[in-house]
Amino acid sequence: MSNSATAQNLPSTPATSFVASRRFWLVVAAIVIAFLPAVFTDSYWRTNLIVCAINVLLAIGLDFVLGYAGQLNLGQSAFYGIGAYASTLLITQLGVPFWIAFIAGILLAGIAGVFLSMFAVRLRGHYLAIASLGFAVITYQVLLNWISLTQGPLGIYGIAPPPPIAIPGLPVIGFSNLANLFYLTAGFAFVVYLLLDQLVRSPVGETLTAIREDEVSAASLGVNGQKWKIFAFAVSSAVAGAGGCFYASFVGTLVPDAFFITESFSILAMVIVGGMGTLIGPVLGAVLLTVLPELLRGIGDLRLIVYGISVTLVVLFMPGGMVQAGRLIVERLQRRGREGTAS
Amino acid sequence: MSNGGEILLHAEGLRKSFGGVQAVRDISLRIPAGTVFAVIGPNGAGKSTLLNLMSGIYQPDAGNMTFAGIDLVGMPSHRRVRHGIARTFQKIRLFKQLSVLENVLAGFHIRHEVPLWQYVLHGPAFRRDREHCRSEALDLLAFVGLKQRAHVTAGSLSYGEQRMLEIARALATAPRLLMIDEPAAGLNAVEVEALLGRIVALRARDMTVVMVEHNMDLVMQIADRILVMDYGQYLFEGTPADVQTHPDVIAAYLGAEAK
Repeated sequence: MSNSATAQNLPSTPATSFVASRRFWLVVAAIVIAFLPAVFTDSYWRTNLIVCAINVLLAIGLDFVLGYAGQLNLGQSAFYGIGAYASTLLITQLGVPFWIAFIAGILLAGIAGVFLSMFAVRLRGHYLAIASLGFAVITYQVLLNWISLTQGPLGIYGIAPPPPIAIPGLPVIGFSNLANLFYLTAGFAFVVYLLLDQLVRSPVGETLTAIREDEVSAASLGVNGQKWKIFAFAVSSAVAGAGGCFYASFVGTLVPDAFFITESFSILAMVIVGGMGTLIGPVLGAVLLTVLPELLRGIGDLRLIVYGISVTLVVLFMPGGMVQAGRLIVERLQRRGREGTAS
Repeated sequence: MSNGGEILLHAEGLRKSFGGVQAVRDISLRIPAGTVFAVIGPNGAGKSTLLNLMSGIYQPDAGNMTFAGIDLVGMPSHRRVRHGIARTFQKIRLFKQLSVLENVLAGFHIRHEVPLWQYVLHGPAFRRDREHCRSEALDLLAFVGLKQRAHVTAGSLSYGEQRMLEIARALATAPRLLMIDEPAAGLNAVEVEALLGRIVALRARDMTVVMVEHNMDLVMQIADRILVMDYGQYLFEGTPADVQTHPDVIAAYLGAEAK
């Protein structure tokens, strides 16, 4: 899990300039989010923007447990599905208001994460991967076969978008409008990113990376590894649950196949291609791996081959993902700059 | 040094077997507070197993153990740290991908005094805590001679430096009892000399040090009490002078080593 790439993710430079630029980049990101729907005006690309935002949520959630706590969790598709089905069923069956169902979906996915990790924390590496994959398979089968509740493969149709938000004195914000729905999901993803970023730059981040690097050693410093791994799982699955709630209300249709185990691997690919153990990496990975297949649509089925080859190349030659690639380029430019001024 | 002091760690009849091998057989010890207590013995004598029993990596098959009056049997290692027991490892277990400073900062895990919500919304208590931890971590690095190396990755340190970093990281937990497993292994003469000075300095600050060590010069110079083990068993316990002259010890250990 920990490879040579993670070493390069560390701030070896003094932290002050780093912090100053962090604020700057967050503002840039907020501005980019604000202008994206104005740039992409057709509904096809706006739809992709929303899918990007949901995938960003799933990827940063997975990265928290995988990149920081070092736990290879392949159950993310299950937590995604639990969030989606739980919130939708609460709304359609019990008439619960959207935002309460939204919070309930997040909580239920988080509780499912705690449930899985309470059994799985004793396992490590491959064993944890298998156990969490098993959980994803079971969840998928339940969604598929509990027909009285989920309507199985027939699916649930006609799920309403989030209710309009009416702030007095302002025009009503409706979410059947794709641009507004994008602002809602991307805004939520942005806030989750900020919170996770704060968390990993606190002693919580130190504790989780200590567990990732050497659990026995961490215990010798007073770290209760089981407790913290359960915490990381809970956060990770709750974030995936939020992604599921948005997915259901955005697509309007739920079928179990959307939460098949291959979804876990797609999310894993986003984290790895972007660069795990950093938060910005999975964001970039999620955007790239969502947009790339769409851009390649022109070449037909060949796009799957191109997609597969590019993911493989990244894993082979750039184990730290896009973040590592970016760092190498910046370093090279700086070196060239220094050589330029020297001569 | 003093024998009349408070007994910090008290163990009786400790036993631990792995399969058919009895690694520790009926070991009892009383470690006085503020002393350097060395455990010596040939390879495979059960010294590291004894240390693992005291730090909680293993639980004993039989026996009692208390630390400052608190029962340690059944207590997991991460809880023992909260009572003031810290350790280093014979086979170095640093967080190799993290920087030297981050390794020490991880050692402050049990000492943060920050309301939980401030981990998410960094407030004044969070910033105070971070400043305090950083400056104390740098002090600890200065103590072990690694302040200049604070920002390199731990894996890139030399072997001797890695051993010192493990000590700094353990000290970050603010222990009363520091257990160091072969701290001088792989160190050159200059580094051993520096290590000796640091152990003496820790004792001067009233810390209790338990040391498993093969370097006899080091042990004889600074240990207040020495426990000699052989084949998992108690062989002798006493001051360095007693140990050096005891015929059993010479036969079992020093004699064997002289060959």
